[in-house]
Amino acid sequence: MKKLLMGTTISIVVSSTLYAASSQNAEIAQLQEDVKTLKLANQKMERESDANAMSGFQLAGYSSFDYANEENGEDSFSGVRFAPIFHYQYGDRFQFEGELDITINNEGETDIELEYAAGTYFVNDYLGVQIGKFLSPIGQFVQNLHPSWINKLPSTPVGFGHDGAAPTSNVGIALRGGLPKVANMRSNYVVFVSNAPTFGVAADGDVVIGAEGKTASVDGAKMWGARYALNPIGNMEIGISAATGDISEELLSGDELLRDYDVLGADFVYHFNAISLRGEYIQQKVGENTLSTLEGGTWRAWYTQASYQFSSINLEPVVRYSDYHNPETNRNQWAFGLNYLFANNIIAKIAYEINTDEDDSAIGSRANNNRFLAQFAFGF
Amino acid sequence: MKNIVKTIIIGLGVFISINTEMIATEADKADTVNGAQVWADTCMRCHNMRQPSDLSSRAWSFSMNHMRVRAGLTGKETRDILAFILASKTESDRN
Ligand code: HEC
Repeated sequence: MKKLLMGTTISIVVSSTLYAASSQNAEIAQLQEDVKTLKLANQKMERESDANAMSGFQLAGYSSFDYANEENGEDSFSGVRFAPIFHYQYGDRFQFEGELDITINNEGETDIELEYAAGTYFVNDYLGVQIGKFLSPIGQFVQNLHPSWINKLPSTPVGFGHDGAAPTSNVGIALRGGLPKVANMRSNYVVFVSNAPTFGVAADGDVVIGAEGKTASVDGAKMWGARYALNPIGNMEIGISAATGDISEELLSGDELLRDYDVLGADFVYHFNAISLRGEYIQQKVGENTLSTLEGGTWRAWYTQASYQFSSINLEPVVRYSDYHNPETNRNQWAFGLNYLFANNIIAKIAYEINTDEDDSAIGSRANNNRFLAQFAFGF
Repeated sequence: MKNIVKTIIIGLGVFISINTEMIATEADKADTVNGAQVWADTCMRCHNMRQPSDLSSRAWSFSMNHMRVRAGLTGKETRDILAFILASKTESDRN
């Protein structure tokens, strides 16, 4: 009887383990099958998505809408801007960046400018060779602060807009990159050569330096320049820049002549505890040429700006003073602004500008008018 | 004067390209600790900080190459910052 019982128990145990083992085998087989299917699906997804491709394409950019109310002038919705930036890259060896600046002018027409279009080949960790149209490496504002979601005020400092004291862009070649640390300090450089700028009388009668990159240079005239910047501590940068070369002028006769051209710049920024301080000085000097009736001279401008972010209430007050001198006039401006940050890249700004211009003799001159400005800006 | 400046600039260019070719170390692994440090020391200088969750992982690889040129970063700093940003993206917004 005992034996029978034992026999039954043993056979039950054996058969149940055998059963369990076989069902486990089936489960394992099923799991293996599942893993295989998942692997295939994953491979298919990876093949189809370009996330892992060596090369690819990406869109960024910014947009802004302006309102201006000018003392003794009119008030209007004064600006609409859409600035898409195209990025293309091939691994981390090559990248292209191109920005279109699309705006509506006061006639209601659409203006499109090629703000920059340049390819950079990264030769090694410390050297990128950039070719094309790039923003002027002289100073900071033109190159790095002009996008409306970055600029903390709705306007540019006097002298830092088009046809001012600060060069705008270059068509040529630049070598640029970050350098190995020296005494635990980081630093970076840009060295460039480009077509020479132009000098002449603008449509409004002002004598201006056309420091916008061009695809021609008279007699092969060039401009050579560099910027070197040091980061003594985190979030601080001190930069110096210089350029030299020729500037070309077209005479009424159609003849072209060259003059000496020299640029100097210095800039600093320090960001600490939600406070941001920055400033910049730039001068462009145009030499004389006795064959021309236009006098040369120095165009120079500087600004300094302070801002503070109250992160708990998303508010940011800003104050900026800017000063611009050219051979025809002296101009300065105080700007007081208040920004509301919906997000770090979505900002509503209001500002009041107090403008002073020595040369307000021209009939209808508005250079002395104070302005109230509002802007909604975002980067994407 | 002009020629001196030109010579210095060309000389500097040549010097930098020759020198950097020798000291550049290519395939060192991305260091997220250094990435976090350089990120905190650099990315607020020109504009408000863009959070890792602002952009997709794919978009970050483009924007970091863009910022390498803009902010004058070295290749290693760029890789380290990208590694830090991707590591700090939460699982849910990783794509
Ligand atoms: C030297 C100034 C500067 C510094 C430093 C800087 N940026 Fe930028 N950044 C810019 C400018 C300028 C733009 C706008 C691009 C344009 O208009 O060409 C921008 C745009 C961006 C954008 C928007 C997408 C794009 O690619 O345009 C992101 C994201 C960004 N920066 C992240 C960073 C990060 C992360 C760092 C730190 C490594 C950083 N930035 C440091 C100047 C800077």
